[in-house]
Amino acid sequence: MNKGLFAILGMGFAAALITGCATTPATREVALDRAPITSKLEPQDVRRTVEKMAESLLSAPGVREAVGGNRPVLDVEPLKNRTTQHVDMVSITDSLRMQLLRSGMFRFVDKSTAGTDIEFMDAQANLGLTDQKKAIKPGQQSAAQMFLTGALTEMKTQVGRTTDQYFKFSMVLKDLRSGELLWADEQEIRKESTRPRMGF
Amino acid sequence: MSRVKGVLAAVALAAGLAALTGCVETAGTSVTTDHLTGNTLVLEDSTRLRDQIQVLRVNYDEVNGLKRVHVTLQSTKHRRLRMHYRISWFDANGMEIDPSTKTYRGLIIEGRDSMTVTGLANSPAGVTSKLRVRDLEAAD
Repeated sequence: MNKGLFAILGMGFAAALITGCATTPATREVALDRAPITSKLEPQDVRRTVEKMAESLLSAPGVREAVGGNRPVLDVEPLKNRTTQHVDMVSITDSLRMQLLRSGMFRFVDKSTAGTDIEFMDAQANLGLTDQKKAIKPGQQSAAQMFLTGALTEMKTQVGRTTDQYFKFSMVLKDLRSGELLWADEQEIRKESTRPRMGF
Repeated sequence: MSRVKGVLAAVALAAGLAALTGCVETAGTSVTTDHLTGNTLVLEDSTRLRDQIQVLRVNYDEVNGLKRVHVTLQSTKHRRLRMHYRISWFDANGMEIDPSTKTYRGLIIEGRDSMTVTGLANSPAGVTSKLRVRDLEAAD
Protein backbone atom coordinates (compact mmCIF):
# COMPACT_ATOMS: atom_id res chain seq x y z
CA MET A 1 0.00 0.00 0.00
CA ASN A 2 2.70 2.42 1.12
CA LYS A 3 4.99 1.47 -1.72
CA GLY A 4 2.22 2.19 -4.23
CA LEU A 5 1.58 5.61 -2.76
CA PHE A 6 5.27 6.52 -2.74
CA ALA A 7 5.54 5.39 -6.36
CA ILE A 8 2.66 7.67 -7.35
CA LEU A 9 4.21 10.60 -5.42
CA GLY A 10 7.57 9.90 -7.04
CA MET A 11 6.02 9.87 -10.49
CA GLY A 12 4.24 13.13 -9.71
CA PHE A 13 7.53 14.81 -8.70
CA ALA A 14 9.27 13.43 -11.77
CA ALA A 15 6.50 14.75 -14.03
CA ALA A 16 6.67 18.15 -12.35
CA LEU A 17 10.44 18.27 -12.81
CA ILE A 18 10.20 17.28 -16.47
CA THR A 19 7.51 19.87 -17.28
CA GLY A 20 9.60 22.49 -15.44
CA CYS A 21 12.49 21.80 -17.78
CA ALA A 22 10.81 23.24 -20.84
CA THR A 23 13.15 24.95 -23.31
CA THR A 24 10.82 27.90 -24.03
CA PRO A 25 11.69 30.82 -21.72
CA ALA A 26 8.85 31.98 -19.50
CA THR A 27 7.91 35.51 -20.56
CA ARG A 28 5.47 37.83 -18.88
CA GLU A 29 4.71 41.52 -18.77
CA VAL A 30 5.98 43.32 -15.69
CA ALA A 31 5.29 46.71 -14.14
CA LEU A 32 7.43 49.61 -15.43
CA ASP A 33 8.55 50.39 -11.89
CA ARG A 34 9.79 46.98 -10.92
CA ALA A 35 12.31 46.21 -8.21
CA PRO A 36 15.99 46.51 -9.19
CA ILE A 37 17.57 43.40 -10.69
CA THR A 38 21.15 44.60 -11.02
CA SER A 39 23.34 47.38 -9.65
CA LYS A 40 23.49 48.93 -13.13
CA LEU A 41 21.32 51.79 -14.31
CA GLU A 42 17.88 50.37 -15.06
CA PRO A 43 14.77 51.74 -16.82
CA GLN A 44 13.02 52.56 -13.54
CA ASP A 45 16.01 54.69 -12.48
CA VAL A 46 15.82 56.64 -15.71
CA ARG A 47 12.05 57.11 -15.38
CA ARG A 48 12.42 58.41 -11.82
CA THR A 49 15.20 60.76 -12.85
CA VAL A 50 13.19 62.25 -15.71
CA GLU A 51 10.18 62.77 -13.43
CA LYS A 52 12.29 64.33 -10.68
CA MET A 53 14.09 66.69 -13.08
CA ALA A 54 10.86 67.79 -14.75
CA GLU A 55 9.22 68.51 -11.37
CA SER A 56 12.27 70.35 -10.09
CA LEU A 57 12.55 72.53 -13.19
CA LEU A 58 8.84 73.36 -13.34
CA SER A 59 8.73 74.41 -9.68
CA ALA A 60 12.00 76.40 -9.57
CA PRO A 61 11.55 80.09 -8.65
CA GLY A 62 14.37 81.21 -10.99
CA VAL A 63 12.64 79.58 -13.92
CA ARG A 64 9.35 81.25 -13.01
CA GLU A 65 11.05 84.68 -13.07
CA ALA A 66 12.70 83.98 -16.41
CA VAL A 67 9.57 82.57 -18.01
CA GLY A 68 7.19 85.25 -16.71
CA GLY A 69 3.98 85.17 -18.71
CA ASN A 70 5.73 84.13 -21.94
CA ARG A 71 6.41 80.63 -23.16
CA PRO A 72 10.11 80.80 -24.02
CA VAL A 73 11.57 78.60 -26.74
CA LEU A 74 13.69 75.81 -25.32
CA ASP A 75 16.03 73.22 -26.82
CA VAL A 76 17.19 70.09 -25.04
CA GLU A 77 20.72 68.92 -25.69
CA PRO A 78 21.35 65.18 -25.20
CA LEU A 79 23.03 64.52 -21.84
CA LYS A 80 26.69 63.52 -21.90
CA ASN A 81 27.31 59.94 -20.86
CA ARG A 82 30.46 59.82 -18.73
CA THR A 83 29.90 56.27 -17.52
CA THR A 84 31.25 52.95 -18.73
CA GLN A 85 27.70 51.71 -19.27
CA HIS A 86 25.84 52.15 -22.55
CA VAL A 87 22.84 54.40 -21.88
CA ASP A 88 20.63 55.90 -24.58
CA MET A 89 20.96 59.55 -23.56
CA VAL A 90 18.85 60.79 -26.48
CA SER A 91 15.93 58.72 -25.19
CA ILE A 92 16.27 60.34 -21.75
CA THR A 93 16.23 63.86 -23.18
CA ASP A 94 13.24 62.92 -25.38
CA SER A 95 11.30 61.82 -22.28
CA LEU A 96 12.23 64.99 -20.43
CA ARG A 97 11.22 67.16 -23.38
CA MET A 98 7.87 65.36 -23.55
CA GLN A 99 7.14 65.99 -19.86
CA LEU A 100 8.12 69.67 -20.07
CA LEU A 101 6.11 70.14 -23.26
CA ARG A 102 2.98 68.78 -21.58
CA SER A 103 3.32 71.29 -18.74
CA GLY A 104 2.60 74.06 -21.27
CA MET A 105 5.32 76.32 -19.81
CA PHE A 106 7.73 76.19 -22.75
CA ARG A 107 7.80 76.00 -26.53
CA PHE A 108 10.40 73.71 -28.07
CA VAL A 109 12.71 73.56 -31.04
CA ASP A 110 14.76 70.50 -31.91
CA LYS A 111 18.18 71.18 -33.37
CA SER A 112 18.77 67.47 -33.99
CA THR A 113 16.12 67.37 -36.73
CA ALA A 114 17.39 70.50 -38.53
CA GLY A 115 18.78 68.37 -41.36
CA THR A 116 15.34 66.92 -42.05
CA ASP A 117 13.83 70.43 -41.98
CA ILE A 118 16.26 71.52 -44.72
CA GLU A 119 15.44 68.42 -46.79
CA PHE A 120 11.71 69.19 -46.61
CA MET A 121 12.17 72.86 -47.49
CA ASP A 122 14.53 71.96 -50.30
CA ALA A 123 12.01 69.46 -51.68
CA GLN A 124 9.17 71.98 -51.43
CA ALA A 125 11.24 74.62 -53.24
CA ASN A 126 12.84 72.48 -55.95
CA LEU A 127 10.80 69.37 -56.78
CA GLY A 128 7.95 71.32 -58.36
CA LEU A 129 5.28 69.43 -56.41
CA THR A 130 4.42 72.14 -53.90
CA ASP A 131 2.44 75.31 -54.47
CA GLN A 132 5.20 77.93 -54.06
CA LYS A 133 2.82 80.32 -52.31
CA LYS A 134 2.39 77.71 -49.58
CA ALA A 135 5.95 76.36 -49.52
CA ILE A 136 7.84 76.96 -46.28
CA LYS A 137 10.88 79.12 -46.86
CA PRO A 138 14.04 78.87 -44.75
CA GLY A 139 14.88 81.58 -42.24
CA GLN A 140 11.56 81.68 -40.40
CA GLN A 141 12.11 79.25 -37.56
CA SER A 142 11.97 80.29 -33.91
CA ALA A 143 15.26 80.78 -32.11
CA ALA A 144 15.98 78.84 -28.91
CA GLN A 145 16.14 81.28 -25.99
CA MET A 146 17.22 78.69 -23.45
CA PHE A 147 18.70 75.22 -23.54
CA LEU A 148 18.91 72.28 -21.20
CA THR A 149 22.05 70.23 -20.91
CA GLY A 150 23.73 67.91 -18.45
CA ALA A 151 25.73 64.78 -17.80
CA LEU A 152 25.56 61.34 -16.26
CA THR A 153 28.53 60.24 -14.15
CA GLU A 154 29.24 57.10 -12.13
CA MET A 155 31.49 55.80 -9.36
CA LYS A 156 31.99 52.11 -8.76
CA THR A 157 33.47 50.42 -5.72
CA GLN A 158 33.97 46.69 -5.36
CA VAL A 159 34.80 45.07 -2.04
CA GLY A 160 34.86 41.28 -2.03
CA ARG A 161 31.55 40.01 -3.33
CA THR A 162 29.82 43.40 -2.93
CA THR A 163 29.58 45.99 -5.71
CA ASP A 164 28.55 49.52 -4.83
CA GLN A 165 27.53 51.66 -7.76
CA TYR A 166 26.73 55.37 -7.66
CA PHE A 167 25.19 57.34 -10.52
CA LYS A 168 24.60 61.06 -10.72
CA PHE A 169 22.48 62.87 -13.27
CA SER A 170 23.17 66.61 -13.27
CA MET A 171 21.30 69.10 -15.43
CA VAL A 172 21.36 72.84 -16.01
CA LEU A 173 19.06 75.28 -17.80
CA LYS A 174 20.93 78.14 -19.44
CA ASP A 175 19.63 81.42 -20.80
CA LEU A 176 21.26 81.87 -24.20
CA ARG A 177 21.06 85.68 -24.24
CA SER A 178 22.44 86.41 -20.77
CA GLY A 179 24.49 83.25 -20.39
CA GLU A 180 23.07 82.83 -16.88
CA LEU A 181 22.24 79.45 -15.41
CA LEU A 182 18.57 79.63 -14.47
CA TRP A 183 18.25 76.22 -12.86
CA ALA A 184 20.44 73.29 -11.90
CA ASP A 185 19.65 70.06 -10.13
CA GLU A 186 20.98 66.56 -9.73
CA GLN A 187 19.61 63.12 -9.06
CA GLU A 188 21.74 60.59 -7.23
CA ILE A 189 21.22 56.85 -7.41
CA ARG A 190 23.19 54.38 -5.30
CA LYS A 191 22.86 50.63 -5.61
CA GLU A 192 24.53 47.66 -4.05
CA SER A 193 24.64 44.07 -5.22
CA THR A 194 26.25 41.06 -3.56
CA ARG A 195 27.27 37.94 -5.44
CA PRO A 196 26.23 34.65 -3.82
CA ARG A 197 28.95 32.57 -2.13
CA MET A 198 28.20 29.63 -4.40
CA GLY A 199 27.59 29.63 -8.12
CA PHE A 200 29.09 31.19 -11.21
CA MET B 1 -1.76 3.92 7.43
CA SER B 2 -0.78 6.64 9.92
CA ARG B 3 2.50 7.06 8.02
CA VAL B 4 0.57 7.71 4.79
CA LYS B 5 -1.49 10.38 6.57
CA GLY B 6 1.72 11.99 7.82
CA VAL B 7 3.16 12.11 4.30
CA LEU B 8 -0.04 13.60 2.92
CA ALA B 9 -0.13 16.20 5.70
CA ALA B 10 3.49 17.16 4.95
CA VAL B 11 2.71 17.51 1.22
CA ALA B 12 -0.37 19.64 1.98
CA LEU B 13 1.67 21.84 4.35
CA ALA B 14 4.39 22.32 1.75
CA ALA B 15 1.81 23.23 -0.91
CA GLY B 16 0.14 25.67 1.50
CA LEU B 17 3.44 27.36 2.33
CA ALA B 18 4.35 27.64 -1.34
CA ALA B 19 0.99 29.23 -2.09
CA LEU B 20 1.38 31.66 0.81
CA THR B 21 4.87 32.81 -0.13
CA GLY B 22 3.71 33.37 -3.70
CA CYS B 23 1.01 35.80 -2.54
CA VAL B 24 2.58 39.25 -2.11
CA GLU B 25 0.18 41.93 -0.99
CA THR B 26 0.31 44.88 -3.42
CA ALA B 27 -2.32 46.98 -1.68
CA GLY B 28 -1.00 49.81 0.48
CA THR B 29 -1.86 53.23 1.83
CA SER B 30 -3.31 55.96 -0.34
CA VAL B 31 -3.78 59.67 0.38
CA THR B 32 -6.17 61.47 -1.98
CA THR B 33 -6.23 65.29 -1.76
CA ASP B 34 -8.65 67.55 -3.56
CA HIS B 35 -6.71 70.79 -4.07
CA LEU B 36 -9.86 72.80 -4.80
CA THR B 37 -11.72 71.96 -1.58
CA GLY B 38 -8.81 70.83 0.62
CA ASN B 39 -10.48 67.51 1.45
CA THR B 40 -8.11 64.64 2.13
CA LEU B 41 -8.97 60.96 2.25
CA VAL B 42 -6.54 58.44 3.75
CA LEU B 43 -7.14 54.77 2.95
CA GLU B 44 -5.06 52.08 4.65
CA ASP B 45 -5.73 48.91 2.67
CA SER B 46 -2.81 46.90 4.03
CA THR B 47 -2.82 46.02 7.72
CA ARG B 48 0.89 45.24 7.54
CA LEU B 49 1.74 48.66 6.09
CA ARG B 50 -0.66 50.41 8.48
CA ASP B 51 1.35 49.02 11.39
CA GLN B 52 4.59 50.36 9.89
CA ILE B 53 3.79 53.79 8.55
CA GLN B 54 1.31 56.56 9.32
CA VAL B 55 0.26 59.69 7.45
CA LEU B 56 1.21 62.61 9.71
CA ARG B 57 0.39 65.70 7.68
CA VAL B 58 -0.80 66.79 4.23
CA ASN B 59 0.00 70.27 2.87
CA TYR B 60 -0.58 71.67 -0.58
CA ASP B 61 0.34 74.81 -2.52
CA GLU B 62 0.82 76.03 -6.07
CA VAL B 63 3.99 76.91 -8.01
CA ASN B 64 4.18 78.34 -11.52
CA GLY B 65 0.49 77.56 -12.00
CA LEU B 66 0.93 73.86 -11.08
CA LYS B 67 -0.52 72.25 -7.95
CA ARG B 68 1.92 70.70 -5.50
CA VAL B 69 1.33 68.35 -2.57
CA HIS B 70 3.53 67.53 0.43
CA VAL B 71 2.68 64.44 2.50
CA THR B 72 4.59 63.68 5.70
CA LEU B 73 4.89 60.00 6.59
CA GLN B 74 5.93 58.73 9.99
CA SER B 75 7.52 55.36 10.72
CA THR B 76 6.15 53.55 13.75
CA LYS B 77 8.97 51.00 13.71
CA HIS B 78 12.45 51.16 15.23
CA ARG B 79 14.10 49.60 12.20
CA ARG B 80 14.76 51.05 8.74
CA LEU B 81 11.80 50.81 6.39
CA ARG B 82 12.03 50.54 2.61
CA MET B 83 8.95 51.63 0.69
CA HIS B 84 7.84 52.78 -2.70
CA TYR B 85 5.59 55.76 -3.31
CA ARG B 86 3.94 57.31 -6.32
CA ILE B 87 2.00 60.56 -6.63
CA SER B 88 -0.45 60.67 -9.51
CA TRP B 89 -2.69 63.54 -10.62
CA PHE B 90 -6.29 63.75 -11.76
CA ASP B 91 -8.18 66.49 -13.60
CA ALA B 92 -11.50 68.04 -12.55
CA ASN B 93 -13.36 65.13 -14.19
CA GLY B 94 -11.42 62.57 -12.18
CA MET B 95 -9.37 61.38 -15.16
CA GLU B 96 -5.75 60.51 -14.42
CA ILE B 97 -3.28 62.75 -16.28
CA ASP B 98 -0.41 61.00 -18.10
CA PRO B 99 -0.25 58.02 -15.71
CA SER B 100 2.88 56.63 -17.33
CA THR B 101 4.96 59.72 -16.49
CA LYS B 102 4.45 59.37 -12.74
CA THR B 103 6.64 56.60 -11.38
CA TYR B 104 7.09 54.72 -8.13
CA ARG B 105 10.06 56.21 -6.27
CA GLY B 106 12.10 54.67 -3.49
CA LEU B 107 11.62 55.81 0.09
CA ILE B 108 13.92 54.82 2.95
CA ILE B 109 12.76 55.89 6.42
CA GLU B 110 14.95 55.40 9.47
CA GLY B 111 13.42 54.06 12.67
CA ARG B 112 10.75 56.32 14.25
CA ASP B 113 11.63 59.04 11.73
CA SER B 114 9.33 61.02 9.49
CA MET B 115 9.79 62.04 5.85
CA THR B 116 7.95 64.41 3.57
CA VAL B 117 7.33 63.38 -0.01
CA THR B 118 6.44 66.00 -2.60
CA GLY B 119 4.67 65.76 -5.90
CA LEU B 120 4.05 68.36 -8.60
CA ALA B 121 1.15 68.18 -11.04
CA ASN B 122 2.27 67.36 -14.56
CA SER B 123 -0.26 69.78 -16.04
CA PRO B 124 -2.20 72.87 -14.93
CA ALA B 125 -5.33 70.69 -15.28
CA GLY B 126 -4.26 68.50 -12.33
CA VAL B 127 -6.46 69.36 -9.33
CA THR B 128 -6.49 66.13 -7.32
CA SER B 129 -3.42 64.28 -6.13
CA LYS B 130 -3.20 60.68 -5.01
CA LEU B 131 -0.23 59.33 -3.08
CA ARG B 132 0.16 55.57 -3.06
CA VAL B 133 2.61 53.93 -0.68
CA ARG B 134 3.44 50.26 -1.07
CA ASP B 135 5.80 47.78 0.48
CA LEU B 136 9.05 47.19 -1.39
CA GLU B 137 8.07 43.54 -1.75
CA ALA B 138 5.09 44.63 -3.86
CA ALA B 139 7.48 45.74 -6.63
CA ASP B 140 7.56 42.97 -9.21
